[in-house]
Amino acid sequence: MKIKVTSLYVDDQDKALRFYTEVLGFAKKSDFSQGPFRWLTVASPEEPDGTELQLALNNNPEAAAYQRAIFQKGQPAAMFFTDDVKGDYERIKARGAQFTMPPTDVTGSTIAMLNDTCGNLIQLTQLARYSR
Amino acid sequence: MTDREQYSPGPASGAQIRKDGEKWTLILVRELRHSPEKVWQALTDPAHLREWAPFDADGSLGTVGTTVKLTTAGAPTPHVSETRVTRADAPELLEYNWGDHNMRWELEALGGGTRLTLWTNIGRRFIAMGAAGWHICFDVLDRLLSGTPIGRMVAGDAMKFSGWQRLNAEYARQFGIETPNRPPQAAQKS
Repeated sequence: MKIKVTSLYVDDQDKALRFYTEVLGFAKKSDFSQGPFRWLTVASPEEPDGTELQLALNNNPEAAAYQRAIFQKGQPAAMFFTDDVKGDYERIKARGAQFTMPPTDVTGSTIAMLNDTCGNLIQLTQLARYSR
Repeated sequence: MTDREQYSPGPASGAQIRKDGEKWTLILVRELRHSPEKVWQALTDPAHLREWAPFDADGSLGTVGTTVKLTTAGAPTPHVSETRVTRADAPELLEYNWGDHNMRWELEALGGGTRLTLWTNIGRRFIAMGAAGWHICFDVLDRLLSGTPIGRMVAGDAMKFSGWQRLNAEYARQFGIETPNRPPQAAQKS
């Protein structure tokens, strides 16, 4: 058993694909549809066969309520690890993303939080042991 | 070999696309050797739909105003959409939505058979994939109505065999769109 895919609700899959590729820098991994269902995933170019992130359409009230609730509580819907949170912060910010938290030192790591424009907060984490 | 193993779809045909602003419509025409009444039943009755359609219905689609849950067959994660039947003029015209897709089916008597036309809006990037999928569904429907069913072929089941890949490429060429999307990895094994 492996953790191969993790899912994230988004309010618009086309918009999400643009944000996750053009702004965050991930690469589209799979994209197919059957009727109203669309299976869309991205992966990191640093790890093309690594864990995929499914951008799942938030098209039911339960999913929308969950997504809104954790957003309002300030909880990230997903967390990505980086070796250079400050560099990523500058790079992603320069492409127009809004950060709700700039790189901030917390216990054992430095974190930053951004709005993915699709209804989610995303946390970037750099573990302290990776710091230069 | 079973009929299912021997099945191979014919060349891409009977499909057109129409662009209206940002909205793309796929139009598929298929002539079936069965009466409109028989085809109507296959389009509306849940027991028939599960033998050929890319979704399961929890009720008949044959009554206007009813709400029916459609479950996408073979989706990699369970996917249910509520649909509302907006027209059901048996055995000629059927309209409902499948999620954000409007489905309009027209049945015209043709000799002893039926000319079946489907209009459905679909994202441009999936239009060849959709045409290939429906092509295979219609083949399965035709055999079902002839009393020699070969079993539903949708999603991964359809994508994993070479006929689907060929149809997808042929429709993409006919429509003048770029190379079709790759199916998911799980579907590429065979």
